[in-house]
Amino acid sequence: MDQLSNVLTAISHPSRRAIIQQLSRGPARFLDVAEPFDTALNAVTKHLKLLERAGLIERERRGREVFISFRAAPLKDVAQYVHHYERFWNERLDTFQQYFTDRKKKEKRK
Amino acid sequence: MTAAPKTLEVTIERTIAAPPSEVYDAWLDPTVPGTPWSEADKLVLNPTVDGLFYWLTRGTPHYGRFTHAERGSRLQHTWMSPNTLGLESTVTVTFKKKGDGTVMTLVHSGLPDTNQGKGHEGGWNYFMGNFEKHFAAAPARTH
Repeated sequence: MDQLSNVLTAISHPSRRAIIQQLSRGPARFLDVAEPFDTALNAVTKHLKLLERAGLIERERRGREVFISFRAAPLKDVAQYVHHYERFWNERLDTFQQYFTDRKKKEKRK
Repeated sequence: MTAAPKTLEVTIERTIAAPPSEVYDAWLDPTVPGTPWSEADKLVLNPTVDGLFYWLTRGTPHYGRFTHAERGSRLQHTWMSPNTLGLESTVTVTFKKKGDGTVMTLVHSGLPDTNQGKGHEGGWNYFMGNFEKHFAAAPARTH
């Protein structure tokens, strides 16, 4: 898979986004990262591997402990994938189009 | 001499279930959801040729000047906002009758080219804003 696909895969899961959210506040140890989840530790390990593959986290050994930290740079690939105004106008026109569709449905019911 | 910044164009098309004149009027009505003037914290809108608009939404100001206003056919205005990075971009909206409806085509040209690294900021800020919302909607215990 290319790097953009790796990043999109990594942020596609709510648990992985929750991990990023947590790490965006500062580096944490594996057990700190796993603590909020009601899931098995190996599931968290799997999530971390996907985040690492996407370059969104990195591990750093400090003495006996390994700290995991967040790297925001790969998210820029996603930001560039769709231009701000492409999103903006698509959302606007979807809403505008829906307004007329809803109005037509209401007229038919009368 | 500095080279002119590279720009790009965004084209969006939708079919609207109403005739062109009605769609045109609705597009200029700030009370209609989805128009560029809706959700305004502050709005000045004078949609005649050389008329100006000022649209403040969620703390972001947008300015422009209408350069073409032909009811039911074509509307064009300039567009400047922090997301155009100081460039005066152009929005052209055409309305074409198709059956009982209207094919509405919006072309936003003269935008900073994000792929050339000139305009990352706009997309980046927008994305990060959405990303934040996404986080807010995804509790940590969800799996």
